[in-house]
Amino acid sequence: MSGAARIAAGILTDPARPVGFRFDGRAFAGLAGDTLASALLANGQRLIARSFKYHRPRGIVTAGPEEPSALVDVLTASGREPNQLATTLPLCEGLCAVSQNRWPSLHYDLLAFNDRLARFLPAGFYYKTFMWPARAWERLYEPLIRRAAGLGKLVPRIGAAAAPAETVHHHADVLVVGAGAAGLTAANLLGRCGLRVLLADQDAVLGGGTLLDEGWTAWRQQTGDALAASPSVRILTRSTVVGAYGHGVFGALETLAAPTSSSGLRERLHVIRVRRVLFATGAEERLIALAGNDVPGVMLAGAAHSYLRRYGVAVGCRPAFFVNNDEAYAALFALAAAGISPVAVIDVRAESLAAARARALGMRVYARCLVSAVLGRSSVRAVRITALDGAPLQTVRADSLLLSGGFSPRAALPVQLGGHLGWQERLAAFVPELTPRAGVMAGSARGVAGLAAAARDGAVAAAQIARELGRECEPHAAPPETDLAATPLAALWEVPGPGRAFVDLQNDVTTADVRLACREGYAHLEHMKRYTTHGMATDQGRIGGLLGSAVLAQARGQTLAEVGALRPRPFAQPVPFAALAGSEVGAHFKPQRRLPLHDWHAAHGASFVSTGLWLRPLVYAQEGGWEPVLREARAVRQGVGVTDVSTLGKIDVQGADAVRFLDVVYANTFSTLAVGRARYGIMLREDGMLFDDGTTARLAAEHFLVTTTTANAAAVLEHLEFHRQSTCAQLDVTLTDVADQWAQFAIAGPRARELLARIVDADVANAAFPFMAAGAVRAAGVAARLFRISFSGELAFELAVPAHCARTVWEALQSAGRTLGLLPYGLDALNTLRIEKGHVTGAELNGNTSAHDLGFGRMLKPQGDFIGRTLSARPALQSGERLQLVGVRPLDRARRLRNGMHLLASSGASEGYVTSSTPSTELPGWLGLALLSGGRARIGTRLTARSELHGEEVAVEILSPHMLDPENVRVRA
Amino acid sequence: MSAPESAPLAPPAVQLAHCAADIVQLSPRRGAHAELQRFASGHALALPPCGRVARATAGLVLAVRPERWLLLAPAAEAGASAAYWQELTRPCALAVDLSGAFTLLYLAGAGARALLTRGCRLDLDPQQFAPGCAAATVIAQVPVTLAAVAHGLLLVTPASTARHLQEWLSISARPSGLDRRADVTVHTLSGDATR
Repeated sequence: MSGAARIAAGILTDPARPVGFRFDGRAFAGLAGDTLASALLANGQRLIARSFKYHRPRGIVTAGPEEPSALVDVLTASGREPNQLATTLPLCEGLCAVSQNRWPSLHYDLLAFNDRLARFLPAGFYYKTFMWPARAWERLYEPLIRRAAGLGKLVPRIGAAAAPAETVHHHADVLVVGAGAAGLTAANLLGRCGLRVLLADQDAVLGGGTLLDEGWTAWRQQTGDALAASPSVRILTRSTVVGAYGHGVFGALETLAAPTSSSGLRERLHVIRVRRVLFATGAEERLIALAGNDVPGVMLAGAAHSYLRRYGVAVGCRPAFFVNNDEAYAALFALAAAGISPVAVIDVRAESLAAARARALGMRVYARCLVSAVLGRSSVRAVRITALDGAPLQTVRADSLLLSGGFSPRAALPVQLGGHLGWQERLAAFVPELTPRAGVMAGSARGVAGLAAAARDGAVAAAQIARELGRECEPHAAPPETDLAATPLAALWEVPGPGRAFVDLQNDVTTADVRLACREGYAHLEHMKRYTTHGMATDQGRIGGLLGSAVLAQARGQTLAEVGALRPRPFAQPVPFAALAGSEVGAHFKPQRRLPLHDWHAAHGASFVSTGLWLRPLVYAQEGGWEPVLREARAVRQGVGVTDVSTLGKIDVQGADAVRFLDVVYANTFSTLAVGRARYGIMLREDGMLFDDGTTARLAAEHFLVTTTTANAAAVLEHLEFHRQSTCAQLDVTLTDVADQWAQFAIAGPRARELLARIVDADVANAAFPFMAAGAVRAAGVAARLFRISFSGELAFELAVPAHCARTVWEALQSAGRTLGLLPYGLDALNTLRIEKGHVTGAELNGNTSAHDLGFGRMLKPQGDFIGRTLSARPALQSGERLQLVGVRPLDRARRLRNGMHLLASSGASEGYVTSSTPSTELPGWLGLALLSGGRARIGTRLTARSELHGEEVAVEILSPHMLDPENVRVRA
Repeated sequence: MSAPESAPLAPPAVQLAHCAADIVQLSPRRGAHAELQRFASGHALALPPCGRVARATAGLVLAVRPERWLLLAPAAEAGASAAYWQELTRPCALAVDLSGAFTLLYLAGAGARALLTRGCRLDLDPQQFAPGCAAATVIAQVPVTLAAVAHGLLLVTPASTARHLQEWLSISARPSGLDRRADVTVHTLSGDATR
């Protein structure tokens, strides 16, 4: 630790509002407006973290989201959140942060032993080391490596009702990314000409680089006020645009609540759709690779400037400067003005205008010199200065080293839009180039140096965009002319010499690692990245990415322009999964479709099951087991039961050609169906496989009601609509989805007719309303539709009523059935009943079965075309060896069946499997349906059914699938 | 410039009301589009183009699909409206009762549009989605037909997912919350529409 370092009033901090916080258990005090990093620096805390691989001491290097080292865990009421950037984490009362990747403590980290072994742990060492024995990979090496990998520790404690994030959709004419001199100017001009503007900036305050120059205070205030007052401009602060997806779609992540907050929103994901985009994203200062460039106290010069201006914090009392450009001198002059004089200024150039100004202020400038090494382990002690030719000059005691290797335009977003990175020698940087249609660049994001020049460039960009959108920008107040003449930079990437020089602080990648990758054949930049991990993880190598390219270029003997830069992809900064999920978490992960009678079912003790999006009553009991299910099913077999089948798909088909259409989409014939009758139908896919089944009723000559299975309701509607609009476009037919319009109840059992007669106004005797009849009735005073169809194998009716009248009719049924022993039954009982009868559902109608497989071959009409006809005639689909529907029953009636049991031949080979099973309501023991190879020819034989999952095996007999009332006497009763 | 607070976008309180209505889908028979238009005009029923909501004598007419109109009228006996329209338009159109298929929610208040931006991908700026506009969209993963009326927004959503949508609206309206109001009638909406 060094001494306290708050030396001035920061423009963002409030000295009247102290804020208490803890770091690694120690109590500290900061100021409102601080970040965790600025508050720690103000308290003299240099050591913040341990590095990823070697566990080297690390401090704070930057003042923004590009930070590679100062990552911490934050302890909150909702858990432990890892990898929070100290440089952007707003300080709040009670903030509790702990350092990462060390054991047992930050100061005494035993795993720092890795650093002693560094020569044995070069890039790619795992690939070469953990080769054998092969079986140790999964059992030993992988668990060990996974345990050692990663930085922080995620311990979520998310409450059931938590909604930590939300999504907001925006539309605008122009998105301006970045609120520095260029972005503010452009947004102001575009807003003034009436365009809808969205201005997004990652910082908590507007201003970008202008915040660091007092001469811009008035302009920034005036421009910000104008923007805030503009009705057509929307400002998003703390909002980083993280992805550019083309066609004017962008994603931005806004950080909201203080991390100590146990409730409320933490993040907001903005989905932005615009006509044009302006990137005024600025440029990032670069690191220089030199021995010891990771020692706490080594910081980018611009970051030191930020800490001073924004928070009044000096990063050291005796800083040394090592630069290759004039812009970095701004930090030097600002610190000097605040009373912090540099111990040495080392400039790689022979002479420069900024160096001359420094000398005029009495500073010692070492021209044509380098810093060849930083001395110190947990903190900078001194820097070693050498001449350009490597000759040692002097070792200077210093408590910090402020570096600047030049500036690279922020290119992530333009590159995501397909932008080309063009090398500019004068900047020693790649500059993104976009077609105007894709986006416009302004300010230092396209290599323009100086705040005033950036503001002017923003105005030009705004005028261009406005013209493209049919507007004219009005002239506006000129920015302050503060730009000084500057000497061009001299490119400097690496200072050669002994010791480890890092190009990627977050992943502990050194210049030697890059050269090793090249020697071992990973000479392409993207291969080198993956071999060394250079440029990966939270910072994406933003301050050192180009250093890696430069070292690789030197190793390959090529220019940097030939090697190129790492290609960024979304996201430009880490995005929590919670932000992507938004409010669609927990119970709202997906929509739930509720039956019109959901509340009645719930009030009567139903346990619900999700089938697709629907919540259906499974059984009217909270206890498990088969007893309540069988009680409901037996009520149907012996008396009467009623179940809610409103989830069935229902499609209203009308038109003069409705029947012709049905003859095309169904594999069986409907043109012979009389008005007032219903028919069971099967539908094939175009490939000839069975698609869906259901009943279709002819309500009038040109009016049909098609029902589908619950699972396939949407797919069948889509299938029919597709054919209506394509293969049957000439037909007069209209399809309407009426699934939600009609609530439907199945009333089944020998006393079903007796019950129904009590609430409907029609004659439901067998003669008047025979099996498969359909017609309009009034039930409990409500206009309804009645169908004599059965899915249970019993005498049954289905009564359909408008959904908003469902409760009236259902309660009338319950009331009328009380003396008949009526029970409501759920999905489990429905399944029991249909399995006994041999009716198929999704388990058998699974997309891989044909009509022949399930015994529907005779339903395929011999004459006339229908969807799937040609391919259903494929010889392979006629094969008797295909899996065919059969019934199964254990020989030992005390043994049970399980869905998924394999049916084994004597050789032990699987010849099929059980698709559905249930204890029987009438026969002793269990029954099941199965798909068995050549099944129909094997009825009467015996096989073994085995479940490997349950370790169970049972001998079974193969039966006809129609195990109950095969003559259909009951349904026709 | 001082640091703006991380101001939640939470809008002012939004009023939510249910609207009971008869809903009839009207669609022309094949090739009878012009005939239906003429017929409707003759019965003081202006069938709006796709993407519009219009006031009708009986209530509102919504159009978000080619050749499909939803007629919204005050609630009457189940099926009565559909039967009426079917009888009236039989030669040229088909009428289907969808009164039970949909739930109508009416959102009003200064924050109504801002609330919907949390889940609706449409541009809901009043200049872009002005009274009289209608669109089919998805909000909170469920289909919604959205119509702008003078003092609010009408959300037409399948009855089975209406509760999910309401729950989503309640969550998204935090912290201001939803102010549940008494049910409104189609007359309330049609009086507002397209003024």
